[in-house]
Amino acid sequence: MSDAITLTLMTAPTQTLVADCIAADRFAALSAQAIAALPVVHGARPATLGDFFRVRGERASVVRIEGDCARIEAIGSGMAGGELVIDGSVGRDLGVAMSGGRIDLRGNAGANAGGAPAGAARGMTGGEIIVRGSVGDEAGARMRRGLLVVTGDGGRGTGKGMIAGTVVVCGKAGSGTGRFLKRGSIVALGEVERPATFRYACTYRPPHVALLLRYLGARCRLDVASAQVTGRYERYSGDLAELGKGELLRWVGE
Amino acid sequence: MKINGVAIEDTFAEAFTMRVARLLITGRTLGWAREAAVKLTGFATSVIGCKCEAGIERELRDDETPDGRPGVSVLFLTMDKASLPEQLIVRVGQTVLTCPTTACFDGLPEAPDRLPVGKALRVFGDGFQASKVIGGKRYWRLPVMEGEFLIEETFGMLKGVGGGNFLILARDADAALASAEAAVAAMTGLPGVILPFPGGVVRSGSKVGSQRYKNLIATTNDAFAPTLKAVTQSQLPEVVNSVLEIVLDGTDGPSIEAAMRAGIRAACRPGVQTITAGNYGGRLGPHHFYLRKILG
Repeated sequence: MSDAITLTLMTAPTQTLVADCIAADRFAALSAQAIAALPVVHGARPATLGDFFRVRGERASVVRIEGDCARIEAIGSGMAGGELVIDGSVGRDLGVAMSGGRIDLRGNAGANAGGAPAGAARGMTGGEIIVRGSVGDEAGARMRRGLLVVTGDGGRGTGKGMIAGTVVVCGKAGSGTGRFLKRGSIVALGEVERPATFRYACTYRPPHVALLLRYLGARCRLDVASAQVTGRYERYSGDLAELGKGELLRWVGE
Repeated sequence: MKINGVAIEDTFAEAFTMRVARLLITGRTLGWAREAAVKLTGFATSVIGCKCEAGIERELRDDETPDGRPGVSVLFLTMDKASLPEQLIVRVGQTVLTCPTTACFDGLPEAPDRLPVGKALRVFGDGFQASKVIGGKRYWRLPVMEGEFLIEETFGMLKGVGGGNFLILARDADAALASAEAAVAAMTGLPGVILPFPGGVVRSGSKVGSQRYKNLIATTNDAFAPTLKAVTQSQLPEVVNSVLEIVLDGTDGPSIEAAMRAGIRAACRPGVQTITAGNYGGRLGPHHFYLRKILG
C-alpha cells in the first residue's frame, strides 16, 4: 500500500482517449499491475491505461496524474471517494456522475465537467470538483448534489438544468448559465449573463457563501478576496420556467 | 490545608453525569452574538427548575469561528439524552433564530451522537428553506425577514459533568461576595466549563427534599444558612456569617478540576474562613472532586 498513486503520462494519445476507469476510490484496492491493465478506449480501439501512463504506487485512494491530459476524457467518472489531483488540463466529462471524493484539477477542463453521462437525468450527486482554470460548456449540468468550483471562466450553459448542489464561477460565466435550474446555487464572482427567466429578489450578504468561500480558502487553498467572503450579492431566483427554487448569486462588491 | 490563611476542608464536590452540547453562535458583531447567547442561556441555571443548565463558555475570535465572524461558545446541559434536543430546538428557535445577523454552528463535531436541531428548525422556512453541504456538513438556510438564518443540521452530544461546586464560608457578606467575584473572574473563559448561575454565583444552595413540604424536591440548605445557625444542625463555624456557592458544569472531569483549582485559589482572600464543597455522601453522583487533591 502506498500513500498515493501517481500516473505519469508517457505516451500522449493521438486521438481521444476515454479513461473512465480513472477514479480514486477504484484504485484503492488495486495493485500497480491491475491499474495498468484497466481498459481505456483510444479512438475507437480498446487499450489499457498502462499503454499511456506509467503507474507508481498502489492501493491508495489519493491519485495524482501528471502530464497534459487535454485529449483524455471522463477522468474521475463515477468516482465515489478519495482524492484525484491532476496537474494539467483534461478533456470533457471530468467527474461525470461523480458521487463523492474530490477532484482537484490544476488546468482547464473540457465540456460537461461534473455533468451527466449522455442520456442520464442526473449529473454529479456528491463530492467536490475544483478546477483551477476554465471549463467548457455545460459544466455542472443536471448536477444533483455536490460542489463544482471554477477559478477561471465558465462555458455556455454552466449549471444548466441543475437539480441541486452548488457551482462557483470566479471568472466570467458563459451565456445560459443556470438555465433550467430547478434548485441549487450558482455563485458568480465575476461577470454573468442572467437568463430572462430569473427574477431579482434582493441584495444581501448570504451567510452560506461566506462559509463556503472560507472553506474553499482554507481546505482547497483557493485565493478568495475577503470582499467576496463578506460582500453583498444580488440574488436572482430561478429558473422560473422550471421549479424556480434555485438561485443565481452575483457578487456586487463589499 | 490552608491557602492564604483560608482553611480548605477535607471533603469533595459530588457531581453528576449530564449530556452536553456546545453551540457556536456568530454574529455581525460580538455584541449581537453575545446578545443571542445571553438570551439562549437565560433561565438555565439548574435542571431542578429550568430543565437544563447553560452558560457562555467563552468569546470567540473571528478566526475561531466557521464563518469568520466574532462569536460566542455556549455549553448546554441536560440530565438525559431525550431532553437535550427538545430544549435546544425550543431555545435556539426562540433566541438565536430571532436575533439579527446570527448563525449557529456545532461546537462538538467529533461527537458521534448527533442531535437534529437544525433539521427540526428548518421547517420554520415553510418549504422555502434550502440546505447546503459544505465540507461534508449539512447546513440549513432559513429565509427570514432580515435575510437568511444559517444553522448546522446536527449538533454533537457528549457525556458531560454537572454540579461541580465549592462553597465560600466568609466572616461577612461583603467578604463572601468579593471572594466569589474573584473566583468567577478566575474561572471565566476556561475551556470546557460554564458557571450557569447569575454572575456564576449561587446564594441559595439547596438540599434534597424538604423537612416540611412533601411535594418539594429541593429546599434551602439550612445547614449552611447563617440565620438558622441557632435553630438547625448548622455546619457553619461561629465566625461565619455568609456563604456563597460556585456551581460549575463542564464537558469533562479534568476541565471541572482545572476550573475549581483556579477558582478556589482566587477565592482564598481576606475575610474568608473556609472553602468547602457540597456532596451527598458520594451516593448520588459518580464524579467526586476532592478539594485538597485538586489543590495539592
